[in-house]
Amino acid sequence: MKTTRKSKRAARQLFRLSMADGRLDDARVRQIARRIAESKRRGTLAVLSDFQRLVRLERDRHTAIVESATPLTDDVRRDVQESLTRRYGGALATAFSEKPELIGGMRIKIASDVYDGSVRARLAALESSL
Amino acid sequence: MADLVQEIEAHIAGAKAATAKQTIGIIREIGDGVAKVEGLGDVMLNEMLDFGQGITGLALNLDETEVGVIILGDYTRLEEGAEVRATGKLLQVPVGKGLLGRVVNTLGEPLDGKGPIPRTAAYPVEKVAPGIIKRRSIGQPVQTGIMPIDAMIPIGRGQRELIIGDRSTGKTTICIDTMISQARLNKAAEAAGDTSYRPLYSIYVAIGQKQSTIARIIGTLEKEGAMPYSIILASPAADSATSQYLAPFAGAAMGEWFMDNGMDALIVYDDLSKHAVAYRQVSLVLKRPSGREAYPGDVFYLHSRLLERAARVGEKYGNGSLTALPIIETQSGDVSAYIPTNVISITDGQIFLETDLFYQGIRPAISVGISVSRVGSAAQLKAMKQVAGQLKGDLAQFRELAAFAQFGSELDTATQAKIDRGKRIVELFKQPQYSPIPVEVQVAVIWAVQNGYVDDVPVERIKEFQAGWTDFLTTRKGELLKKIGAEKSLSPELTGALKAAADQFKQTWK
Repeated sequence: MKTTRKSKRAARQLFRLSMADGRLDDARVRQIARRIAESKRRGTLAVLSDFQRLVRLERDRHTAIVESATPLTDDVRRDVQESLTRRYGGALATAFSEKPELIGGMRIKIASDVYDGSVRARLAALESSL
Repeated sequence: MADLVQEIEAHIAGAKAATAKQTIGIIREIGDGVAKVEGLGDVMLNEMLDFGQGITGLALNLDETEVGVIILGDYTRLEEGAEVRATGKLLQVPVGKGLLGRVVNTLGEPLDGKGPIPRTAAYPVEKVAPGIIKRRSIGQPVQTGIMPIDAMIPIGRGQRELIIGDRSTGKTTICIDTMISQARLNKAAEAAGDTSYRPLYSIYVAIGQKQSTIARIIGTLEKEGAMPYSIILASPAADSATSQYLAPFAGAAMGEWFMDNGMDALIVYDDLSKHAVAYRQVSLVLKRPSGREAYPGDVFYLHSRLLERAARVGEKYGNGSLTALPIIETQSGDVSAYIPTNVISITDGQIFLETDLFYQGIRPAISVGISVSRVGSAAQLKAMKQVAGQLKGDLAQFRELAAFAQFGSELDTATQAKIDRGKRIVELFKQPQYSPIPVEVQVAVIWAVQNGYVDDVPVERIKEFQAGWTDFLTTRKGELLKKIGAEKSLSPELTGALKAAADQFKQTWK
């Protein structure tokens, strides 16, 4: 119990050190990860996995995943990107991917926020309302 | 035709599909009815979460990067990596008169196969108790129909009276008797068209009970015709600890609806020891720090916030009330254990049941010495107060003298008279289960004892005398009983009439 709490605290400290100007600094993250892995101390694995989790969550917070049933045209992509930037600020990376099982429409996910306008989601909503 | 098509096309072009923002999370860890969920950005404490497949969860621990969720329902079907949706709603249960006569689970879903429950309103499960301004003092009685309770430990509407005792000492029976008594009074008032009588609705919350016990209780209530005025909220032993933990709060929400709408309700929590155990389990799997007997630090707050919700509110706020009868099971009569002392200190009195008395045949096995009602006497019927005023003292004195008299046979007449009177009172207070006695009859019976009408009746024949006297009053002096019930106090004329009736009965009874 105590060791998990200790490793969590250490991971949080290292995570804070890897930030520069309120953003994650890739070079620092790599450096810290390498140094932890090389360290021969006890519990490094736990610290590393906690650190990895924090980095992953931070990256998710600044990444929008846009899924669509068919490939989007450049115009639509630009539109989506613009409106997302308006809402979530400039430092947002956008990843586009195709997912035919959505049937139609689009699904955008940024960390825990989801805008689901896909046909599949509507069908599911319809099904649950019946 | 072409116009029509164009019109539809225009409609389609104009239609805008608005997509609302949803908050989702991913299950990272699941087990023991508790899930750790990552994500869920702006989730609230006690918010309902949708796990899909009709499974609901409740956000209970909000950590920096994850949320501790207790799952209501079958958690074995859920998998790691599955999506969880925030609903933006606090945990709610349906409330209203549509629940009367039904058996429901913690979420208010029917368990009795009598079809869906009309959903008129919903209340949050966790609600802050009425404040100081809204409350008023207790002034109306809850007629339990159990003579020793109505005479010595009276309960008022809005009171919290703890029923405490070892296993199988008749704790549940007292509560079921009270529920039956309320149903009979409600029915009688309805039949007589008495609008001044405020009906009292009952809610029975079974926490961690055996299914067979619950089925038996429902059977009894149905047989006695009490179901139309009762709600049964069952969270049996087979339910998950999470739904057992929430059951009394859901029941309180159902009761609060009656209180808020100017009606009176009675809620029985059977029992809070098992509730504390269920909460301990939930807390331990949520990895909250544990304290004495491994109960979490907030187990006192758990019960105090639950029982605080029982109240009598002022006229301005609807004049409703919620009376709580929590039950606690002790281990070999130990009232100084952790949970019993907690609940004793929260409630406005307790009825203590003893195994020894139970096996001596004194049923209900109420131990008069340590049973008290801190506020109920203000609500007691004046007639009852007049006749039963010294009863508790007399009985306590009798116990002491009887113990003392065991050692020697030489007793002065005054002591002997006290012992004789005591023996007869004890005998009189024996009462079979599921047979509540109307308060007017109780008054008449106790009046007869206090005025020496049973002093020459042998102790073995006391019950026979009581039955005869009750029979005589109900069949031949119905008017007199009605008058006692209506006037609510014994005026000199009524006392005179009672005396005449008792004299008449004594002449005929052999």
